Amino acid sequence: MTIQGNANTPRKLLAVFAHPDDETFICGGTFAKYAAEGVEMTLVSATRGEMGRRMGNPPYLNRETMAAAREQELREACACLGIGNLIFFDIRDKTVEFEDERSLEGRIEALIRDIAPDVVLTFHERYGGHPDHCAIGKATTAAFWRSARKGALYFITFGDAMERPERYGYKRKDVVKIDVQAYQSAKLAAFRAHRCQTEIDEWVWLADNEALSRFGRHEYFLKGDVQAAQRANTDLF
Amino acid sequence: MLPINKPQAEAELRKFVGADAYIHSEATSFVFVRNFKVKVTHAFIAGESSSYRAALRFDGHGWLRMEALTHYEVDEFGRLLLAGYDDRGRMNVALHLGKEPFPE
Repeated sequence: MTIQGNANTPRKLLAVFAHPDDETFICGGTFAKYAAEGVEMTLVSATRGEMGRRMGNPPYLNRETMAAAREQELREACACLGIGNLIFFDIRDKTVEFEDERSLEGRIEALIRDIAPDVVLTFHERYGGHPDHCAIGKATTAAFWRSARKGALYFITFGDAMERPERYGYKRKDVVKIDVQAYQSAKLAAFRAHRCQTEIDEWVWLADNEALSRFGRHEYFLKGDVQAAQRANTDLF
Repeated sequence: MLPINKPQAEAELRKFVGADAYIHSEATSFVFVRNFKVKVTHAFIAGESSSYRAALRFDGHGWLRMEALTHYEVDEFGRLLLAGYDDRGRMNVALHLGKEPFPE
């Protein structure tokens, strides 16, 4: 089933991530694609990434200036990707897993009930790759199941790892593969907006056509409910 | 942040001697401690090239020692920020001292 948006009932997406740059580095092309299709998008960043290691290259940040700098970078990246609504949970970077779980779930559940998104994106609670990722993924997954009366949950995934979902105990039918080829310029702009994190990666700052050639054509998502009725495997909606 | 000038950085660090100080200390990939409060009794900077050690004695029985510090500044709030960066701008260590708690 495809949920069709129209002028009266725009489709809505809620993404609940951990750090500024998760949205861009992992699935920036998908945000840009759905922005172009008129989807209303809200991004939660649990932290401001203020405990990050990359301080610019050469370094121009310190631990105390980093939160404000990365917040501003994320605002710019959201503008590049067409994410209209940005929410910070004000949790200190690297401490999400130590937050009270019920309270964190409650905040996310309230957002889901308020926004009533058609699609919820978060990290897989085991394959998130960073303790903050796994913790926000776990809380969001619990909140989704407690609150959802409609919509679909997906886990974001890195690179093209989900070309071989069997390695993670999933089947090909559990994977949604989004073609983002037409949206790579927006994704590159968002990469560059996250300047303090990307200055160390020389390829980001090459001429546009060279930098764009580094992006894969697809971004991959795992279905949060593999028992759910089969949806198209090339679209989240 | 400026490359550490040893006499200047040590002079700034010694301004905290005799005072209560809130400290943020981290080895970035492994540990951070934020807002522990101590009474600083001695302060030292050692090292001769571009990478320095800092040490504090506190509360009559405590030591804090860090190495690989490369940069420092006194920020607009009067806090002394010392940090160690690698050659590509990645932080290895940080040592901050302030008279007030750092934001949680």
